[in-house]
Amino acid sequence: MEDIVLDIRGQICPACLLITLREINNSKLQLKRRETRLVVRTDHRDATRTIPGAVFAMGYDVNVVKKGGYYEITLEYKNG
Amino acid sequence: MGKMSSGTASLIAEDEKRDIYKSNERLKRYIRDKVNQLLTVMGTRPLNTEELDDDTLLDLDPIGIIALSFEQVLEHLKETNKKLRIAKDQLQAVFDTAGVCISIVDPELRIVNCNEKQKELLVSGNKEVIGHYCYEVYCGKDSPTLDCPAIETIETGRPVFIREVKKKGRNFQIVTSPLKDIDGNVIGVIEVSIDVTEKKKAEEGMRQAEKLAAIGLLAAGIAHEINNPLGNILGYAKLLMRESDISVGQREKLEVIVEQAKRGNEIVRGLLDFSRQSRPAFASVSMNEVILKALKSLSNQIDRQGIKLVTNLTKIPMVEGDPKQIEQVVVNLLLNSIQAIEDMTDRTISIETGYTDSGVEVRVIDNGHGIPEEILPRIFDPFFTTKPVGKGVGLGLSICLGIIKDHDGSIHVESEKGKGSKFSFHIPAMSA
Repeated sequence: MEDIVLDIRGQICPACLLITLREINNSKLQLKRRETRLVVRTDHRDATRTIPGAVFAMGYDVNVVKKGGYYEITLEYKNG
Repeated sequence: MGKMSSGTASLIAEDEKRDIYKSNERLKRYIRDKVNQLLTVMGTRPLNTEELDDDTLLDLDPIGIIALSFEQVLEHLKETNKKLRIAKDQLQAVFDTAGVCISIVDPELRIVNCNEKQKELLVSGNKEVIGHYCYEVYCGKDSPTLDCPAIETIETGRPVFIREVKKKGRNFQIVTSPLKDIDGNVIGVIEVSIDVTEKKKAEEGMRQAEKLAAIGLLAAGIAHEINNPLGNILGYAKLLMRESDISVGQREKLEVIVEQAKRGNEIVRGLLDFSRQSRPAFASVSMNEVILKALKSLSNQIDRQGIKLVTNLTKIPMVEGDPKQIEQVVVNLLLNSIQAIEDMTDRTISIETGYTDSGVEVRVIDNGHGIPEEILPRIFDPFFTTKPVGKGVGLGLSICLGIIKDHDGSIHVESEKGKGSKFSFHIPAMSA
């Protein structure tokens, strides 16, 4: 499975959320077929709350990991 | 029509531009407001003008993005609903086909749901139960009992187990468990009732069989040991009675010895019958013929006591059994009935035969005093009797039970104080 990486460091909410949602919409089929995951890199802390909150209702599992100077939010469509 | 001057045309163009600009500004504000409303729904804060200027905002197309995202939310909701419906149907199927009674009640003890088994065993008829109080529907009471396990569970939030409770004529074990919301508050009780009626009967039967076997062994041993001395006492007493030089007083005393020795002999014979060390001699038996033979042997006693005898012997299949032993059962049951109506003014005994799923059925019914409910479970126990001393040793019904069990049958009693008793036994019919 190859990840789609979306680097939005430097952006703040709600732009972070809108850009992430746009990427989910664009890659909807691959994500739903579980051919890929979306990895969002952000340095805006609010995004670690707004992105999971919004995408969970769309059927995605979310994993947030704090890396060096940013957060990595991995979105994966739920299996079953 | 006059020609428009260039200055006037320029003024109109300026006015139009201003209007268009105003209109554009209004539209941008509208778009920004709507985006902010949608972002609030998505759980994030509104946009700042500095964050995204108008051109970037329009290029990003946030309303389009959120609309497509909502489409995914809707798809996910539909899928989740479908899965939930399937899970609910599966759960309902498990709920309904469970071999135990399950009911869910709210904190006011109103029934929220109950499964098919619960309806089958604890709901009378086809009545609607949802919303009704559980104590009314399941226990037939106007208010909950003091030891109601559901109330204890609501009050303590803990499960409660009741080893045995009688409801609607059956025995149940009950477990009540709390139903809690996400914050841990008790919002209802799950009542699970397990019908242990048959299990209890089987256990009682097993206990009875073990008891009978043990007593049978003991009785056989004692009977053999007592038989010989009793025979000697009887023999010597009779010899003494033949002597011519005994006084009247001595003769009376010897008569008492003979009488008591005979009584002892009867008890020994009863013990030997009870222990039944010989296996039954099976043959093809007509139950109606056996009954007629038993009635003949008791006809004098029946006539003498002025008993009205009602016989209703229907056409029934043959059974496989020992005719002498089955006759003994019929005689014992009839003797019990005769004794039960001894002091009644209107004395009636009915004997009937029939055929049910359990086999050939014989019913002996009397209109005597009936048997008190508290002693009903003990009447088949060996040496249990309510008769006065000298009238019985309490082995008759134990012997009946043993014989019927040897014939793979069953024996039952129904009795109501003041109305009489009905003893019935079944023996499997011979296959055609």
